[in-house]
Amino acid sequence: MIPLEAYITLSAFLFVIGGFGFLIRRNVIVTLLSIEVMLNAVNLAFVAFNRAHAADANAVGAHTGQVFAFFGIAAAAAETAVGLAIVLSMFRLKRSVRTDEADLLKN
Amino acid sequence: MLGQLFPVDDFKLIALILGMPLLGAAVNGIWGQRLGKEAVRLMALTALAVSFLGALVSFFMLVHAVDLTGHEEVVEGVKSVVHEHTKLSWTAWDWMHTSGGDGATSVSIPVKFSIDALSGVMMLVVTGVGFLIHLYSSAYMADDKAYWRFFAYLNLFIFSMLVLILGDNLPLLFVGWEGVGLCSYLLIGFWYDKMPNAAAGKKAFLANRVGDFGLICGMFLLAHYCGALDWTGLSNGAEGLLKTGDLNQIHLWPIGGGEFRDFHVGPLPIPMHIFQPSTAFTITGATAVGLALLLGCTGKSAQLPLYIWLPDAMAGPTPVSALIHAATMVTAGIYLICRLSFIFVLSPFVMTTIACVGAATAIFAATIALVQNDIKKVLAYSTVSQLGYMVLGVGVGAFSAGFFHVLTHAFFKACLFLGAGSVIHAMHARVHDDVASQDMRNMGGLRKYMPLTYWTFFVSTLAIAGCPPLSGFFSKDEILYRAYVNQVVNPMGEPLVARLHMWTPPTALGPILYTVGLITAVLTAFYMFRLTFVTFWGDFRGWTIGRPSLLAQAELTGHGHDDEHGHSEHESDSHDTKSAHAGHDDHGGHGHDDDGELIEVHDDHGHHEDLTTPGYPPHESPWPMTVPLIILGTFAALAGFLNAGILHFAPIDHWLEPVFAGSAEHAVHLRANAERLEWPLAACGVLAFLIGSGIAYWVYVLQAGKPAKAMADGAPGLHDLLQDKWRVDELYEATIYAGTDALADTAVWLDRSVIDTLLATVTSTVVKVSGVVLRLLQTGVVHIYAGAMVVGLAGLAIFFVVPHPELAAKDTGGGNYVVEAAPGMGYSYLWDADGNGTWDAQAMSAVDHQPLHLNAGETKTVRLMVKNAFGFTKTVALPVTRPESTKSLEIGQNP
Repeated sequence: MIPLEAYITLSAFLFVIGGFGFLIRRNVIVTLLSIEVMLNAVNLAFVAFNRAHAADANAVGAHTGQVFAFFGIAAAAAETAVGLAIVLSMFRLKRSVRTDEADLLKN
Repeated sequence: MLGQLFPVDDFKLIALILGMPLLGAAVNGIWGQRLGKEAVRLMALTALAVSFLGALVSFFMLVHAVDLTGHEEVVEGVKSVVHEHTKLSWTAWDWMHTSGGDGATSVSIPVKFSIDALSGVMMLVVTGVGFLIHLYSSAYMADDKAYWRFFAYLNLFIFSMLVLILGDNLPLLFVGWEGVGLCSYLLIGFWYDKMPNAAAGKKAFLANRVGDFGLICGMFLLAHYCGALDWTGLSNGAEGLLKTGDLNQIHLWPIGGGEFRDFHVGPLPIPMHIFQPSTAFTITGATAVGLALLLGCTGKSAQLPLYIWLPDAMAGPTPVSALIHAATMVTAGIYLICRLSFIFVLSPFVMTTIACVGAATAIFAATIALVQNDIKKVLAYSTVSQLGYMVLGVGVGAFSAGFFHVLTHAFFKACLFLGAGSVIHAMHARVHDDVASQDMRNMGGLRKYMPLTYWTFFVSTLAIAGCPPLSGFFSKDEILYRAYVNQVVNPMGEPLVARLHMWTPPTALGPILYTVGLITAVLTAFYMFRLTFVTFWGDFRGWTIGRPSLLAQAELTGHGHDDEHGHSEHESDSHDTKSAHAGHDDHGGHGHDDDGELIEVHDDHGHHEDLTTPGYPPHESPWPMTVPLIILGTFAALAGFLNAGILHFAPIDHWLEPVFAGSAEHAVHLRANAERLEWPLAACGVLAFLIGSGIAYWVYVLQAGKPAKAMADGAPGLHDLLQDKWRVDELYEATIYAGTDALADTAVWLDRSVIDTLLATVTSTVVKVSGVVLRLLQTGVVHIYAGAMVVGLAGLAIFFVVPHPELAAKDTGGGNYVVEAAPGMGYSYLWDADGNGTWDAQAMSAVDHQPLHLNAGETKTVRLMVKNAFGFTKTVALPVTRPESTKSLEIGQNP
């Protein structure tokens, strides 16, 4: 059996990769991808902790972590839909998908 | 059978009496415009008729219930049947419970209605007279485009008035009180597109607000002193108003019962002790409550100094003047005084004030009525004057006499107003101007054309003037007799009076009040007969009356005037060459007016109708208008026998006895020889009637108004002063309005200079500068925002990783303290509670507080080590000191 620490380490790596990608890449699509990576890192942690700590599979609340992961997936889907729509309209407006050219919110 | 259906303490029939007018108001108000006039009339009249029948049934059930309580009592050898105070009550729902906390009394206020002897009679008058006036209005308002709105308001008024009367507690009465005020406002300004009407409505509303302020204050004081607001609770707790403790009396000077002490401003001594009176000036709760409630009554019942709204209220339709501003609403103040008589009698000072206010109002308004030319204005000032009589009556402790005058006044004054309305209706056939159609100088001779109106008006005039044996004679005579013989004393007896230094009215007051009332009676007879003679006797002065046969001929050829229903359509042109002014000259010989000139007659559509063109004579009103007149006239004539005190036949007096038991009998002493004065005083009353009416007959019939004109010319200053209503409105304008204006100007100046200039400029500068600085942070680059977010998250993470121990000591008294640690996620604690430098336990635990005992002046340092979920630890120390003196500690606890 793979120990819990391995899952958590993987989750942490994924989260850091996503975070760095979000901070340093200038392409909006890649930024969205990075956010997805971070969300899935969290989902992985949820599922792993749930699997490791739920001793009795029949107890009330034994699957809370997995249920949360589903919520995470749903939230990620919704976020992607909205994010891509914004990217599309931004592209129509600016002919670009680079974040450093998206400064419409300034002043 | 009915008794089983409606038990005394759950009398659901009240719901019907109250509900029907409300239903009528809702139906007519919401759908009236689409229903059409017939349906609106049906709804309004049915609502009132059912309500009246319900009231009638309730009244007879009340009579039955009262009869059951009758038992014989022997007082000083005379056997008499005594009845208990009985009421039929119905609790609709619980409204609110108030509790002041800190041991204050809690007052529960249910929505409860009750019918007792007093409210039963009042309820019959309101629904009965109300129905007659509804019937009258259905013809009077027939041509009005807002017919439905009128009846919606009128039904709503009846509902509010019934709430006022039947409410079993003061807050519920207040709901009705405000409701009738609202309806009064709406109906005065019914023709709101005319500026004076709208202004009159506003004036009535504002003047009433001043009075309502007093009523609310009285209500709060009563809740404080009596601990209840319903009638039974108030009468049980009334002694609370006479408590003499420092907290129960109201200190007027020095305010709040303090003491003036000298002090120094630098070297300068300020001798404040000169303001300290030798004995503090205090009043009892009873006096404060009584004066506050009296203010409420002066507003609603149009007494000095708040009467100014009632004469202006005549701008509303005439049936409204009859119903609201003569028969019912304006008597609410007298009803309130009667209802709370047991509170008013606790303060002889308040009773005397009430009597004086009533007498002053009576004579004041009567003098104004002497010279008014507007038929409704005369009646309005007459109403103010009669209300003064009623207030005088209740003020001298003759509650049933005052209330009986409410009853008779409702009949004869409603009849007079409706008669005036009938006359105005007839005048409107050709005179369309509001002012001209109500001016007596344009009338005259209507006796011939409107016999029914004339006879009912004449009977009511005799009644109000006090002609025996009509109703007004008995009610007025009883009030005047009581004013002479009654002496108001404190009902709580001599010992209390001595303890409180209670004021007692001078014995000369009775004869003074009586004299004022008697002079007013002379004036009343004079101005009422002046009104009747000028309006109905002599020759008609409104327009030229042609011969019917010639008029019919002229109509055939197309040149006549349609004057049968000329309100909406009438021909405006005339081929007659005579001008309107020349026409008046033709009639100059007959025009006996005070000023010797006829006012220009014109209609309100802006074009003149030539009134010299021969037209049809004024017509009698249709049956829905004359039937109420006949019924009210009959009651005006006969109602006096319900309480003919002088003949010792007084059913009303006996009927109301249980209501006023305990207030009137203990609070009123009769003057010596009171019995022997009864007939002489009544003879004076009859003499007053004969003198007043005789002078009016001599001046306006025999001499055709010449003496009045001579008088007016002889003393133009006085005449103008009376004509201008003593210029009270002008006085208020110069003082109260001007004062308010000055206050408003000051406020505007403060607003502009301080708030707009200073505060607004400073604030806007601060915002502007910070905006400039903060704008630099908003770069619009997403990565910088994301970086800021990461920094913030990192800060949060560090905060959660590091433990945050916090200690607080709580004093539980007697040198015992509890030291508590602030909670946190996953925290465990290690204590050094005794302050000896070593940890109390070996391992961390979840115990987050420790007891601590300290001697006086001792200090201990409590240490705590906190470990969080990440395994980080931190230590904190808190020194706890107990103060040296325990006394100062206790004072600190309970300031």
